[in-house]
Amino acid sequence: MALVTGWLTKQRASFVWRFTLLYTALLITLIAVAFFVLYQLSVGEISRSYQQQIQFITQQQRVFNQQMSPSEYLTQFTNQAEQLTNLILAYEDKNATYGRLTSLPNHIASCPAQTTFLVDNTNDLRLYSGCIESLSNGRLLVAFDDENLYFLQTQFLRAGVLALLLTLGLGILSGRYLSTQFLSRIKHINDTAKIIQSGDLGARVTVSDRQDEFDLLAGYINRMLNQLEDSFHAVSGVTDAIAHDLRTPLGRLRLRLESHLTTLPEHPINESQLQEMLEELDHILTTFSAMLELSRLEHKQAHSHFNLVDINQVAEDVIDLIQPLAQDKQQALSFIASRPCYLQGDKTLIFRAMFNALENACKYTPSGGVIELLTTTAGFIVKDNGPGIPDEFKDQVLQRLFRLESSRTSPGYGLGFPLIKAIAQFHHGKIELKDNHPGLQVHVTLNMSHPIENKKDAVCSKS
Amino acid sequence: MRILVVEDDLVTQGFIKKGLTEHGYQVEVASNGQDALFQALEMDFQLIILDRMLPKLDGLTVLNTLRSANKTLPVLILSALDSVDERVKGLREGGDDYLVKPFAFAELLARVEILLRRQPISASPQSTLIQAADLKMNLLTRQVWRAGREISLQPKEFQILRYLMEHPQQVVTRTLLFEAVWDYDFDPQTNVIDVHVARLRKKVENDDLPPILETIRGVGYRLVDKTTS
Repeated sequence: MALVTGWLTKQRASFVWRFTLLYTALLITLIAVAFFVLYQLSVGEISRSYQQQIQFITQQQRVFNQQMSPSEYLTQFTNQAEQLTNLILAYEDKNATYGRLTSLPNHIASCPAQTTFLVDNTNDLRLYSGCIESLSNGRLLVAFDDENLYFLQTQFLRAGVLALLLTLGLGILSGRYLSTQFLSRIKHINDTAKIIQSGDLGARVTVSDRQDEFDLLAGYINRMLNQLEDSFHAVSGVTDAIAHDLRTPLGRLRLRLESHLTTLPEHPINESQLQEMLEELDHILTTFSAMLELSRLEHKQAHSHFNLVDINQVAEDVIDLIQPLAQDKQQALSFIASRPCYLQGDKTLIFRAMFNALENACKYTPSGGVIELLTTTAGFIVKDNGPGIPDEFKDQVLQRLFRLESSRTSPGYGLGFPLIKAIAQFHHGKIELKDNHPGLQVHVTLNMSHPIENKKDAVCSKS
Repeated sequence: MRILVVEDDLVTQGFIKKGLTEHGYQVEVASNGQDALFQALEMDFQLIILDRMLPKLDGLTVLNTLRSANKTLPVLILSALDSVDERVKGLREGGDDYLVKPFAFAELLARVEILLRRQPISASPQSTLIQAADLKMNLLTRQVWRAGREISLQPKEFQILRYLMEHPQQVVTRTLLFEAVWDYDFDPQTNVIDVHVARLRKKVENDDLPPILETIRGVGYRLVDKTTS
């Protein structure tokens, strides 16, 4: 018993089971109603027509009985009783019984109430329904053969019960099928969620080829999980990077402060030492801000307002800013402007991307080198004839904090290329590093989809 | 000159107060938005240094209320929020300048001084001539003279010198120079501005004339007038 109630409670909790039960109940009600209507239209109608006939014959015989003489009535009655085949008529007066019956049963009610009784038809017992009407000289029995109707009724009932049982069975079976089929898929999703909750972010919901609603749901869940996992990795990546790139200089600063503190009485700290420490701290703060900014750009949290930007104007500003650096290293820095020069974008970010690319070129190209800045229809290119970047490192330099010098001793943050990449992607563009034979070409595409042609159609010339 | 410093971190507040007092300012402090608003409305200040995130009443709300009450004094917003959007929001609410934490005190001081001496010499449209120390600048012809001798400058060098001459005797930080001359809103974080100033200096401080562009290490530059002192 407890087992059954337990099973029921468990099943009741399932949505598919509740749905199946409701559905089955509805179907059973529908079938019951249909059967009831069908019964009333067939068996009920036949029964009603018999009753009407009985009523009619009874009334007719009463009239005849009143108007005719007893002998005339008897003759008429005998004729009538013989003619009617579907009804049996019997009349009993003081002397004898006429009609189809040998005697009138006593327990039969007066019309219009009906009584069912058995008639022995020599070797066949048949069921009849009828009533007795008292006439002036005797009693009249009118009845119809109920055997066929009774049989029909029984058949009907049997068919009805069978149909209802079948519906119930089908309902339970389909419920079972639905629960095993659909619940198993929901259960799979639930199980995946549990696995993820327990810490395994790599778990995914299986998607079948059917492309049904469950597959759509699974697809959405998986996509959401992918994004979440990416964000988690990004966060942990930043954490690792911060740990690596900030801990080292922070540790250095701490050691320096500690050593100054322990040797303080003999060697008072001087201005240049303090200045060095301040510079070290500034370097740490700069790295920290740059990494924060990079993360923000990469995850599109810095919602800047895009405007029409004259890329050649930005390029000229960058050249103005960086020219002295190049001149100090006797590098030839030139700018070749493109014709369509308006882009949808963030002016400051484009400036920074260009500045970073050019500053890198100045920094790594030896004295006397040649550096070129070209604006294109959808971005810019920086070419230099410096040492370039070997192919195997071209992807790595785009990752944050990767620096070609493994020692990380020369100044720089390892955030230049990643920042350019993030800015390009923020503008729905990309960065590509190519060989300049010798040297490096940095191709930056911004707004790949829609560079805007200069409305005045003028050549954006170099001023 | 009375300055109201609104900052909920008491150590930062103390350092700002100490530093500003040492530079001759009278400093009042407030640690939350409500006190700040009360003091700013009741007392007369020439400048407010306002932290963006404050207990009780947010910094921007304080600023907004002040502006609604027709208080036009300059307000410098301090904030740990450094995105461009935050900066734009702060300036739109009526801030005159926006400084991101952590900042160098020298940067804060330079900005405070520039805000307090807001009206540059060239403010009136008629004056096309600027003079500072023994330098003279014609804004129309873009000519510059030092002690009567003409100096030829590149456009950006001219703009840098102009900004320095418009703020004589004041410390001008690299970031301020970059923002003023290039008009891009970020900190280039490199020595590139120093290179520009070095070139300018080479042209301005030649011959036997005394140095006029003073470098303040780790901070920026100052145009000094050594001829009169």
